[in-house]
Amino acid sequence: MIQVEHLTKDYQRVKRREGFLGGVRTLISPQYETTRAVDDISFRIEEGELVGYIGPNGAGKSTSIKMLCGILVPTSGKIEVNGLVPHKERMVNARQIGAVFGQKTQLWWDVPVIESLRLFRDIYNVPEAQFKRNLNLFNDLLDLHEFQNTPVRQLSLGQRMRADMAAALLHNPRILFLDEPMIGVDVVAKERLRVFIKEINRDQKVTALFTTHDMVDIEKLCSRVMIIDHGRVVYDGSLDQMRTQYGKDRTLVVEFEENIPDFVPPHAALVKSEGRKKWFIFNRFETSPSTLIAYISSQFPIVDLAVEEPEIEKIVRTIYQGNTGETEGKHA
Amino acid sequence: MNAITLYFRLIRVAVQSRLQYRADFLTGIIGVIVLNVINVGLIGILVSRFRHLNGWTLWEMVFLYCLWLLGHSVYSFFFWHIRALEDYLVEGTFDQFLIRPASPFVLFIGREVQYLGVADLIFAVSGLSLAYRNLDLQWNGTQWLFFGLAIIAGALIETTLSLMIACLSFWTGRARRASNLLIQINMMVQFYPVDIFGYTFRVIVTGLIPVAFMNYYPALMLLDKLDYSSAWWWLGYMSPIVALLLVGITAGVWHLALRRYSSAGG
Amino acid sequence: MKIFWAFTRQAFHGSTVYRFEFWMRLFFVYMLMYSIYWVWTTLYTQTPGAFGVSLEQMVTYGILGMALEIFLDVGPEWYITTQVRTGAIDTDLMKPLDFHLHMLARSAGEMMFSLGVLALPSFAIGYYLFDLRLPGDMTTSLLFAVSLIFSFFVFFHISFLLGALTVITLDIRSISWAYYSLVSFFSGQIVPLWLFPDLLRKISEVLPFQAIYYIPMSIYIKTLSGGAALQALGVQVFWAIVLVLFSRWAWSRVHARLTIQGG
Repeated sequence: MIQVEHLTKDYQRVKRREGFLGGVRTLISPQYETTRAVDDISFRIEEGELVGYIGPNGAGKSTSIKMLCGILVPTSGKIEVNGLVPHKERMVNARQIGAVFGQKTQLWWDVPVIESLRLFRDIYNVPEAQFKRNLNLFNDLLDLHEFQNTPVRQLSLGQRMRADMAAALLHNPRILFLDEPMIGVDVVAKERLRVFIKEINRDQKVTALFTTHDMVDIEKLCSRVMIIDHGRVVYDGSLDQMRTQYGKDRTLVVEFEENIPDFVPPHAALVKSEGRKKWFIFNRFETSPSTLIAYISSQFPIVDLAVEEPEIEKIVRTIYQGNTGETEGKHA
Repeated sequence: MNAITLYFRLIRVAVQSRLQYRADFLTGIIGVIVLNVINVGLIGILVSRFRHLNGWTLWEMVFLYCLWLLGHSVYSFFFWHIRALEDYLVEGTFDQFLIRPASPFVLFIGREVQYLGVADLIFAVSGLSLAYRNLDLQWNGTQWLFFGLAIIAGALIETTLSLMIACLSFWTGRARRASNLLIQINMMVQFYPVDIFGYTFRVIVTGLIPVAFMNYYPALMLLDKLDYSSAWWWLGYMSPIVALLLVGITAGVWHLALRRYSSAGG
Repeated sequence: MKIFWAFTRQAFHGSTVYRFEFWMRLFFVYMLMYSIYWVWTTLYTQTPGAFGVSLEQMVTYGILGMALEIFLDVGPEWYITTQVRTGAIDTDLMKPLDFHLHMLARSAGEMMFSLGVLALPSFAIGYYLFDLRLPGDMTTSLLFAVSLIFSFFVFFHISFLLGALTVITLDIRSISWAYYSLVSFFSGQIVPLWLFPDLLRKISEVLPFQAIYYIPMSIYIKTLSGGAALQALGVQVFWAIVLVLFSRWAWSRVHARLTIQGG
C-alpha cells in the first residue's frame, strides 16, 4: 500500500548562460535557479491496484517514482510504501519493490539471461524453491526458456523486455514500478506483456504503478488513472469517471440511404460529410443519442449508425491543456 | 549476502562478460604493450643522453616505472570502470544500484573488469625482474614483505584518487577531463624520480595528491636509496599508511556523493 | 562555405566548461608545466651541453608543449565513436554538410573556444610563472600562428582517421591510448625530436606527427628560422593535404560500410 501526502521535490540547478561570455561569467560567479519537479501531490494506492501513471515528459513522473523507490529524498511531505519510508529504509524497501525501465535494461549485457537471473537470486536471497517456481511461471507466461541462454545484447526488444520483467519479479516484490516498459515493442509482443502484467497483478496481488504514453495500455490494464502535469496530480480516478467527467462530446456517425445536403440538427454540430455518411458531434449533457437519432431519422431515412466515444487520448490532451495554471481538476 | 561475497559473485559475471570479446583481447594487449614500450623508450632516450637523472640510473628508472605500473595494473584490471561513473549517472545505470538490497558501492565497483590490466601486469613483472637482476638486488624477508605491501598500497592509492575524482560528476556532471589530466600527471610523476622537482611539487605529490607513494617512496626503501640522516627518511615506509588514510577519506567522499545524489537527482 | 562557418559558430557557442572542471584543468596544466620545467632544469644543470639549445629555449619548448596540448585536444574521434555506438550517427549523416567538413567545422569551433578559455590562461601561467619566453619579433609570431593552423589541421585528421577506424573495430580504448602515445612521442611534444637517437629521428621525419608540435614549437623557439622555417611549413602543408585526401577516401569507404550494414 502506497501513501503519499503533500509530497514536494525541488531541484537547484546552476543557471547556464548563453554564449561565450555567458559561459565565462558562469565560471566566475554562478547563479542558481530552483525548479519544482513535484508540487504537493497526495494519493493513496491500495494493495493489488494497477494504476496508470501518465503525464507529459518532464511532468514529474520519474521524480515521484524515484522517491517511491528511495532513490531521491523529498523536499517535504510524507511518503510511505507498505509502512516503510523509502529513502530512510532504502535496502529494506528494496526487497519489496521491483522495477522495469523501458529505456535501460537491468540485466548484464554480455552474459546469458539466466546468469543475470541467478545473480539477482543471490542478491535478493531468493530461496531455491521459490526461484525454480518463478522460473517455471516465467516459462509458461513469457516463454523464458526460449531465450534464457542467450546474451542480452543478442535479444530482440520484445525478448529483452520479457527478460527484464522476469528479473523484476524474481524476488516476488509486493510493488512493481513499470517505467514505459513497452517502448518500441511491437504490437504482438506488447499484448503478451500486457497479459503477463494482468496475470501477475491478479494472481499475486502485486500492486503496480505503470507509466506509459500508450493509451491502449491504460485502457486494457488500468482500472485507475493518475494524470500528472507540471508536478501536480491533475486527475486521479477511474477511466470511466474520466470519460464521464471530461468526455462530454460524443460523435454520431450516420449513414443515409442517399446523398443528402448538409444540415445541422438541434444541439449538435456537423463535423464531416463524406458521400452518404455524416459525422455529428453533440454534447451528451445537452442531448441524448436517442433524441438526436429520432430527430434525424424523422427527417431522412437512415441505413446505419454508430455512436463513438471520445478517445482517451483526446480526453487526456484536454486535461493537459486545461492545466495551464489552473488548480481545479483534482479529483480523488 | 555480505559485501565480500557479493563482490566476488559480481566479478565472476564481469569476467564472464569480458570473455565474450576474445577478438579485442589481442589488439588490446598489443596496444598496451606498445604504450609501455614508448614510455620506457622516452626514459631510455633521456638517460642515454644524460647517463643519469639526478643520481637515478637507467635500471633504477625502469624499476621506478615498473613498480608504479604493477600497482596500476591491479587498479586497471578491477577498477578501470570507475571513470565511467559519469556515464552511469546519465544513463540511469546508477539508479539501478540504488534499488537493490545491497551496497551501491559494491554493485558499482563489481560491475566490470578490464583484461588490459593483465598486459600491464606482464610488462611490469618483466621489467621488475630485469631491473632486479641488473641492479644486483638482494632483498631480505622484510623487503619482500614490504614490496608486497607497496604494490597493494599503490593499487589502493590510484583507486581511491580515481574514485574521488569520478565522484566530481555527482556535482558537476562531468569528471572525465579531470581524470584524464590526473592520469597525465600520474604519468609525468611516475617516470621521473620526485627528487628532481622543486619543493612545492614534492609537497603536492606527497601530501595533497599522494601519487609519489605509488613508486617513489617505496623505491627509495627497496633500492637502498634511503637517506637515514634526512628528517624525512620515514616517508619511505609510509605508503601502506597513506593508502589506508586515502581509503578512509574516499569512504567519506562517497558517502557525501550519495547524499548529494539523493537530494539533487540525476 | 557559409554552412561550414555556421557549424563552427554553433560549436563555439555550444561549448561549455563546468566551473570546477575549468579550475581543475588549469591546476593540472600548472602541475604539468611545473614538472617539465624541473626535469629540463635539472638535466640542464647536470649536462648543459647535451641539449643543443639554451636553457630558456628548452624550457620554453616544454612549457609551450603543455599549453598547446589543451587547445589541440579537440579531436573528433570520441564524438564519432559515441555517435556510432548510440546510432545517432545517422542524424549527422543527414546534415546538409559533408560529414568530414562537418566534423572539421565542429572541431574548429571547439578549438577556438578552448583557445580563448583554456589556452590563453595556460599561456599566461607559463609566461608569468615559468619563464615562457615570447618570440620577440613579428615574423616569428606570424610564422608560428600560421604553423599552428596547419598543426590543428594535421591533428584533426589524425584523430578523424582514428574515429573512422573505430566505426569498424568498435572498441576504441586500447587503440586510442597506444595511438596517442605514439603520436605524442613522434610529435616531439615532450622530448624534442633533435634529442632523439639517429634511427628514431629518421623515423620521425617521415611521419606526419612532427607537424603537430615539433614544427610550430621549433619555429617559436627559433631553432627553425628563415628558409628552414618555410620549408617546415611546407612539410606541414604537404601532410595536411595528404591527410585530407586520405581522410576523405577512408571516410567514403567507412560511410559505404555504415549505410550497407546499418547501425
